[in-house]
Amino acid sequence: MNYEQTELLDRLAGEYALGTLRGPARRRFERVCSQSAAARRALYRWEDDWSLLSRRLPPVQPSPRVWANVRRQLFGELARPPRTRWRTWQLTVAAGLVAVALVVGLLVRELAPPPLQTLVVLGTDSAHPVWRLERRLPLSALTMEVVGAVPPAAGKSYELWALPRGGAPVSLGLLPAAGSAERKLSEMQRSALLAADKVAVSVEPLGGSPTGSPTGPIVIVTSVPAAG
Amino acid sequence: MSRAGEGQPTQPVHEPDAAELEALLARCAAGDRAGLETLYARVAPILLAVLLRMLKRRDAAEDALQDVFVSVWQRARQFDPIRGRPLAWLVSMARYRAIDLQRAARPAVALTELSALEAQLQSEEPLDGGEMLGTGALLLRCLEQIAAPQRRCLMLAYQEGLTHSEIARAVNEPLGTVKSWVRRSLLALRRCLES
Repeated sequence: MNYEQTELLDRLAGEYALGTLRGPARRRFERVCSQSAAARRALYRWEDDWSLLSRRLPPVQPSPRVWANVRRQLFGELARPPRTRWRTWQLTVAAGLVAVALVVGLLVRELAPPPLQTLVVLGTDSAHPVWRLERRLPLSALTMEVVGAVPPAAGKSYELWALPRGGAPVSLGLLPAAGSAERKLSEMQRSALLAADKVAVSVEPLGGSPTGSPTGPIVIVTSVPAAG
Repeated sequence: MSRAGEGQPTQPVHEPDAAELEALLARCAAGDRAGLETLYARVAPILLAVLLRMLKRRDAAEDALQDVFVSVWQRARQFDPIRGRPLAWLVSMARYRAIDLQRAARPAVALTELSALEAQLQSEEPLDGGEMLGTGALLLRCLEQIAAPQRRCLMLAYQEGLTHSEIARAVNEPLGTVKSWVRRSLLALRRCLES
């Protein structure tokens, strides 16, 4: 590697660690790091350097519910119910043939019943959330609730997919056209969702994909929390 | 590693011992739940401070903290001591989680956050390195060598998690200027840290 490349790599690593490298460039640098030891070294060095600044902040004691939730999420232990869940997700919506690309930034603030936690809100634009997905913890079922106007799709169904990192999409079932539905997760669906960093919605023939993989246009792809 | 708070019982200990954290991460990697609990007790307050600063809301920061510890348990095996300090790894996980969440929260909260921030900027925090040790003090010395407006951009990015355009608005400079300030400041910082 020549000097210019080393310097560029170091600058990108610096901006990644600082947080100013955003969007696709951020994801691209993560891919570079997964392949290049030099990139990782540059990044670790900046992370080390910068992290010293974080020590200047006075520590803040978390409320007891955080540890209780960690235990419940990881080990399925019963714990005190969460006081509030405040979740914000950006939904990137790529409406295939209609070619509408919109970004949704939604603040979801709600008093959740103990075992139910908002996973993500799927929508067609910032003012029009369509489905809210909630997970039952420990992860055993998903509830899918219609919270806005479902885009008309005559003779078609909307199907939800978990996109596990490095694996094929796994169907999580059909999204309801009205009301809400709770779907128990099979072991395969559960592990796919746990390994997923994204979920997607595709338009399928009525009743769902005939092949077990998405066959119609993907209309929504959005990130979900690491632990599914 | 020395502890910054020794002899000052009212002063919280800012940095747990690196060897202890490494041992706790190894216990997590081996599936020892008590290891995770001890690790949580040691570093959760440090990480929550970082998350609060970036996300501004206590409930959002605590949700993010939960996510971070779930990831720590799942990824403890990936921690390689040669990668650097364990606290740096943990702090980075927290910061990157906050960055991902901020990306999601904006633009809904950006405007109010920025107005609050603009007020806060009237009284810029001094870089007091008095209590820092070793490389921490070096970082602060190097930051002090960077001109104040440029340094403020770095701090807004690192501590508040602002993007280039948000920084540009907060310091009232063109986006291109801010981008090149950040780029050049990083180069200068690297040179200084290596000198």
